[in-house]
Parts: sequence; C-alpha cells; structure tokens
Amino acid sequence: MLLSYQEIMDRANRGPYITEEDWDLEKVAMTTRRMVSKYKLEWDPEEIVPDDPALVDAVFEAGLELARELGAYSRTTERIIEFEPGELEEGMKRMPQTLVMGEGKDARTLYARRIMDERLPLVWAGNPGAPTPEHLFLPSVMSWMQEPIVDMVTCGTLTHVDGREVRTGDPIEIISTRRELLYMRQGLQRVGRPGMGMLAAQSSVSELGDLAVAHPDYLRPCDSHLVPMLNELKMDHRNVSRAVNSLEYGMRNASLPCVIVGGLGGDAPGSAVVNVASFIVSNLTCLSDYHLCHPIHMRHVATSTRSVMWVEAVVQMAFERNAPCIIVSDIYPKSGALTRELLYETAANAIAITVAGGHLEGCGSADGNAPNGTGLEARFMGEVGHAVARQGMTIKEANTLILKLLEKYEHVFDQPEGNAGVAFDQAYDLATLRPVPEWQAMYDEVKADVREMGLEALE
Amino acid sequence: MASEEKHLEEIKQAVIDGDSHASAQVTSDAVTDGVDPLIILNDGLMAGADVVGQRFEAGEYFLPELMLAGRALKAAMAVVEPLLQAKYSSGEADKGDTGVVVMATVQTDIHDIGKNIVASMLTATGFEVTDLGVDVPLKSIITKAQEIDANIIGCSALLTTSMPFMRDLIDLLDAMGERERFKVMVGGASVTPEFAEKIGADGTAPNAVDAVKLAKRLIRQQREAKGVS
Repeated sequence: MLLSYQEIMDRANRGPYITEEDWDLEKVAMTTRRMVSKYKLEWDPEEIVPDDPALVDAVFEAGLELARELGAYSRTTERIIEFEPGELEEGMKRMPQTLVMGEGKDARTLYARRIMDERLPLVWAGNPGAPTPEHLFLPSVMSWMQEPIVDMVTCGTLTHVDGREVRTGDPIEIISTRRELLYMRQGLQRVGRPGMGMLAAQSSVSELGDLAVAHPDYLRPCDSHLVPMLNELKMDHRNVSRAVNSLEYGMRNASLPCVIVGGLGGDAPGSAVVNVASFIVSNLTCLSDYHLCHPIHMRHVATSTRSVMWVEAVVQMAFERNAPCIIVSDIYPKSGALTRELLYETAANAIAITVAGGHLEGCGSADGNAPNGTGLEARFMGEVGHAVARQGMTIKEANTLILKLLEKYEHVFDQPEGNAGVAFDQAYDLATLRPVPEWQAMYDEVKADVREMGLEALE
Repeated sequence: MASEEKHLEEIKQAVIDGDSHASAQVTSDAVTDGVDPLIILNDGLMAGADVVGQRFEAGEYFLPELMLAGRALKAAMAVVEPLLQAKYSSGEADKGDTGVVVMATVQTDIHDIGKNIVASMLTATGFEVTDLGVDVPLKSIITKAQEIDANIIGCSALLTTSMPFMRDLIDLLDAMGERERFKVMVGGASVTPEFAEKIGADGTAPNAVDAVKLAKRLIRQQREAKGVS
C-alpha cells in the first residue's frame, strides 16, 4: 500500500537530523560521486541521445540506489525522510500511464511515451515562470493558445498587477495568481478552446497563490500545478503544502526537480543520477502524477546545452526502460524572440526529447528570464517533435541532426550578454496576434534549413 | 625538514584536492618548519584556491569540488589564522583584498544554489563568509552584519517577486543610518546591473568568478575610503 502523506510528514518530523551543508556535500555529492564511479558512468558530448541501453539502465540503477540510500531531506525540520525497502518501488508502480488533461473536446490524454515512439508527443506550450508584465500577459499566452498544434498550455509569472509590484508571500500574490488564471481562462475562451488543460498558478511563488486558485473558476481538477523539489533531493513544508492541497481537490501534481547540471551531482552523468533519484523520490514526496524534466545548466541555465540535453534524454530513456511513467521535458533556450538561434535551439532540444520518449513543454525563451517568448517558437517546437515521430527518426539520425544544429547556435553560450532577443510586443503585432514580418521570415528560413538538414517530415 | 617550496606545493595541492585533513596537516607542518604564515596564505592556500577557481571557470570542476576546496581552506585557516591575527595586530601584514561577508537569500525566497556557489567561491578565495541560508528576514541579515562587523552584505533572490526585498534591505540600511558601513552585493538569475544600480546596490555579477572579483573590488574601495592601504 502506498504511504499516506501523514506518514511522510511524520518521517520528516522524526527522521535523523543532519545539517543542510552535510546533506549537500556528504550525502548528495559524495554518494552521487560514488554511484558514478560504481556504475562507470560516462557521457560523450558528441552523442547527445545515448545510443547505449546498458548505459541508460546503469543510470537508472545508480539513481535508484541513490534514492534508496539517501531518501529526501526536509529543509523545514532538517531531518532525513527515509524510505523502507519496497516503498520507492511501489511508488514507481503506481505512476499513471495515461492521464487526461483538460475537458470536453479540448481534452488530451498524456501517456508514457516510448523511445523512438512514432506516436506524436503532446505539445505543452508556454514559458513557465518567465517574468511577464500584466499588459503583455494575455496577448502572449493567446499567441500560443491559438496554435492548432498546441495540446495544453502554461504561462509566465505576473510581475505587476494593477501597476503594483508583486511580492512573494504578500497578499498581492493571491491577487496575481488569481489574475493569471483569469487571463488564462479568458484566453482559452477567446481562442475557442475553453477546455484545454493547463499547467498554471505560475504566479504562485510561495504556496499562497496555489491555495488561492484551487477552485473550478481558476485551476480545475483537470489541470495541473507544479510541486517543486529543491536542489537537491529536498522538500520543505511550504512546497509540501502545494501537494497536500491537491489531495482532496483532485488536481494533478507535476513534480519539478530542477537538477543543476554541474551542481552537487557534478558533471552530466552524476546530474542524471540525481535527476532519476529525484523523480523516484518525488513520486512519494510530491505525490506526482507526472514529472517535469527540467535540468538546468549551472552556468548557461539553458536546456539546449549538450550536457543538459544529454541529461534530459538519458533520464527519459532510463524510466522508459525501467519504470515507465509520463515525462514532459522543458525547453528553455538561451535565445529569445526574433533570433534565429532560438529556433535552432528549440529544434535540437525538441528532437532529443522526442526521440528519447518525452513530451514537449516550452519554450522558456531567453532562459525563461524575460517576456521574450512567443507562440511561433512553441509552434516550431511542436512541428519538429511531430516530424521526428512521423519520420520514425532513430537515435543515430537524431544525433547526427542535433550535432548539425548545435553548430548553428552553440556560439550563444560564449556571448557574455546572452542572446535574449526582444520582448513579445516587438516580435508580434498586438492587434492581429501574428508574428511581425521579420520574425515570420526567420521562422520560414530556419524551418526550410532544418528540413534540408534531414528532418524531411517537417511540414 | 622540507623546503618552503615543497611545503607550499603540498598546501596548494591539498586545497586543489579538497582534502581538509591533508590541508590542516601540511599547513601545520609548514608552520612548524618556520614558513611565514602570510606566505602560506598567499603562495599556498590562495594559490590553490586560484587553481580551483580557474578549473571551475573552465568547467573542469563542479560544485562539490568547490565546496570541498572551501572546507580544505577553512581547515588550513584554522591553523594559520591565529598567527596572522597576531601579525595584523602588530601591523606586520594586511588582509589583502579579502574580508568578511554575510550572505543570505532574502525573505520569501528559498532558492540557494547560486548563493551557495558564490559563498563557496568566496570562501575558497579567502573571504570569511557567514551564510545565513534562505528566506532570511532583512533585519536578521543586518543584525548579523553588525554583529560580526562585516564588510559586505551579499543577498540573493531568484524569484522576480522576491527581488523587491533586496531594495527594501538597502532602504532599511539607509533608514538605520548603516548604509555607508556595508557594501551590498546583489545576485540572482534575473538581477541585472541596471536593477542593482536602480535599487542602490554596490554591484552585481553574472557568475561566481566575477562575484569574487567584485567583492575584492568593493573591499579595496572600502579600505581606500577608510584610508587603509
């Protein structure tokens, strides 16, 4: 029988005490290092999607052993949440293989994808967490809601409401999260897709906003929200409150461990091990219905770096082969709207995720750090993912294409100023909600180029 | 008796290896053999820290190596610090361009990886860092800075909706008449130089390596302002 949440809270209150620094270094870093060595894990920066099932399985085994050995850390109580033999395995077994998101004619069924699956990945469009001024919020989310290829939507975080700065934990956070959901529901109505599923309450940076929108007028039970894990393998009571809030309301929980690649896990293999362990533990600590795979590059942030794409791919494949579950992987390119690099980064990331058995979420353009995302790159993300599946692309073919795409954008990681592009209102005509001609022309040009490079099914 | 050069090389290597036990031991051996503690600090410990910083910057070292080097440095400093303090009080040496830093993720924000990396880099390069953790009330940050007579307050926020609290910290320092006493560094994924300037901070840096450079520059400015060479 699955652990009750009260039992997990009891363990957080009575588990062994350890300082956070010792948890980070002695437990997470040192144990991960030992696992990488024990399982002889290495990665090849020239092979972004690992074409070696034994390596993939070893990453899974190492992650499972890490999760068994460590458990999770409660930052609130400074105690270790330990698990008994079999509990983590039971948590993996209960993970849904399908999940209906949204309602009515707009409902979509998320499913556990397979490696090189010819079924289309679902397209979850938006720039989760990107700071967005109120006047740009509705038009920007509508720019991706209106794209026919999009299955579900998400959004940025409101930075102001009614001219007032939003502050975490302040009563205004309740107002901003409710305002976000009002705009989301309004946007879906206006594009004629009112039942579309959402991953929202992105303006809820503490638990306040989340609690304030668990109501059918805002987030419906057919929607989902994030339950983050803290770096690495940590929870706190504030984030636990988000999960507990869903228990009776029945909303879906998406676990979000943003493993830092280059952080406590070290290089890509160790980070993948930590990510696998985080998903396994989050089945219980976050009451996950599905997982969001969003490793972050320690220096570049973006998911389109070689190491982060490798981690996303190997983690998806590890679960597909050993403990199938629904994984949606994030695309956070370094570049922003009205840059060619944004589209090349999106293509590379989408190819790696799709061929490795994930669904697509994005794009958090400009590192998700500015309101510089538009519906056009979300459309492109979906088109590339669909083309990969339709074409029946192999891992080998995917790797060849990704290496070509890397040549088109990898220089942005050496640009000290980044490549943030422009804000939404400079890339889209706000009156027509269409890309400005220059942005449309870049899209047409890059799309033709990617097709020419080998993605023949790109329509 | 080993040569000074050999001692310094062992100390440097212990920091690079992140070996706390070895760094304390070889530092102690060097002191016993009469190596000047300031030379141990600059040509052994700091030289090792420089290598760690370079390897981190080059992507050869990751966060654990940085944290281990910080621990190794701390262990060695416990040996040489009393000797150095004796020198400071007699005016034989100065602290160079390092100092005392209080670091915290400001109230309402619980993200700390960036702060931890900067804290580790500062520690690994010779700063004395008190890390107050995450979600720290502004008054607690200031109180700690006063208590330990810090040179720099380093505060961080990842969430854009927590960033305003960094401005509040500076406003509170102003209101308390303490703004001139501390240099304030701010950081976080969305923090830009423009934001730092707008809220009246003394600077920000895009990464941990540049944060150390900034901290050293601020220390030099502070010392110059006080007329200390």
